[in-house]
Amino acid sequence: MIDLQGYGPRLIEGAGVTIQLAVLSLILAIILGLLTASAKMSRNWFLRRTATVYTTLIRGVPDLVLMMLLFFGGQIGVNAISDMLYYSYDIDIYINFNAFAAGVLTIGFIFGAYMGETFRGAFMAVDNGQIEAGKAYGMSNGLVFRRIRFPQMMRHALPGLSNNWMVLLKTTALVSVIGLTDMVRVAAEASRATHEPFTFLIPVAVAYLLIASVSEWIFARLQKHYDIGFGGQ
Amino acid sequence: MAATPTPLEVRNIKKRFGDTEVLKGLSLQAQKGDVITLIGASGSGKSTFLRCMNLLEQPDDGDLIVHGEPIRFKTTRHGREPEDWKQVVQMRAKLSMVFQSFNLWAHMTLLENIIEAPIHVLKKPKKEALEHAHALLDRVGLTARANAYPAQMSGGQQQRGAIARALAMDPEVMLFDEPTSALDPELVGDVLKVMHGLAEEGRTMVVVTHEMGFARDVSSQVIYLHQGLVEEAGPPDQVLNNPQSPRLQQFLAPKY
Repeated sequence: MIDLQGYGPRLIEGAGVTIQLAVLSLILAIILGLLTASAKMSRNWFLRRTATVYTTLIRGVPDLVLMMLLFFGGQIGVNAISDMLYYSYDIDIYINFNAFAAGVLTIGFIFGAYMGETFRGAFMAVDNGQIEAGKAYGMSNGLVFRRIRFPQMMRHALPGLSNNWMVLLKTTALVSVIGLTDMVRVAAEASRATHEPFTFLIPVAVAYLLIASVSEWIFARLQKHYDIGFGGQ
Repeated sequence: MAATPTPLEVRNIKKRFGDTEVLKGLSLQAQKGDVITLIGASGSGKSTFLRCMNLLEQPDDGDLIVHGEPIRFKTTRHGREPEDWKQVVQMRAKLSMVFQSFNLWAHMTLLENIIEAPIHVLKKPKKEALEHAHALLDRVGLTARANAYPAQMSGGQQQRGAIARALAMDPEVMLFDEPTSALDPELVGDVLKVMHGLAEEGRTMVVVTHEMGFARDVSSQVIYLHQGLVEEAGPPDQVLNNPQSPRLQQFLAPKY
């Protein structure tokens, strides 16, 4: 067996950070993506414009740059607020801009833009007659969304969604630059300390592969679920 | 005698798409038990007129009164819109529509399709909705297909299923938008038979159709539309057997 030279527990902890970061970012990205897609399909000019600026900005700027901007910018912002509180109201608090939260926010924010495009395409693929039938039977917009639009959209969104998820998972490796100890950072530290990079990097690669395989299995199950009724049984 | 309010009344409906005015002021009144058929060439506006009745299309002008309750409108920069969408949602639950392309919800079984709106819109208990659904499936001859998905059913079965879905709402008025036009000829009969039965039991129906035989047999009133206007209207005997306008005469003339 591979001798992890005492780094085993820290690697596992790092893997935990990676998974938590990825899952929370995914949830945020899905919410932002649904909002972006709705905004882009809205007839409100301001919403459409805002969503377009958001996706253009995100897709045009490297993830790493965005992450540092948000992290350092966030810290500066938080400091400014606590300064203001101190000088104006004599309230003395120091808020540390949490690196984990910054990581989730940035990754969620970045992938929200990609999800927005995925969802928009998927919503447009739903047959309008299905939506009209919902309206004609007295469903409110919310009910139409929940009972018809969303379940029928998902089968079109899942391929793009799973693709985005895989990229998102690997993007979490960038968080080491803002000081978060995910499994890549632990492996890098251990490699430097022991001069045995492969001992640590190969298990990390295998761990990513494992997460990816499990997700693929989950996505296949979801696809099967949402394909029911569309000739996919 | 001011007993029950008129189930559906529309007055002077106008609608334009871009530069074309497709409805130029159409009115209709459906009393309880009336079967009103709308006929006319394609492009005459009959489907658009029907879709204005449950506001799937927004009329630019005119009144809509469902079960004595007028729908309130307001004017925005997007055009004329209902003032209160909640009122529209409640109104739609009283009218149920049968579409040309069936539009059964593809991700649900037939049975799920039928209980969907009664449970989620009318808030019926599930048990009651299921009992009603099974009775309706029996009525349209689809008991065996209760657990089939729409994609697994023939067009005729889907349309009969869609009629069962419409009936499950206990609608005040049923709107039919060319219900047999998308069907293979040999499947049309089954659907018409179900609709005949509905007319006989006194359902209030507004039907857009090309089936002149059906119009003749069951209508209380036939309305012939031409370019967004009523060209002739009256009992089927008069309109279909003794058409006055040359256009309607030509429309009804046997094609070979």
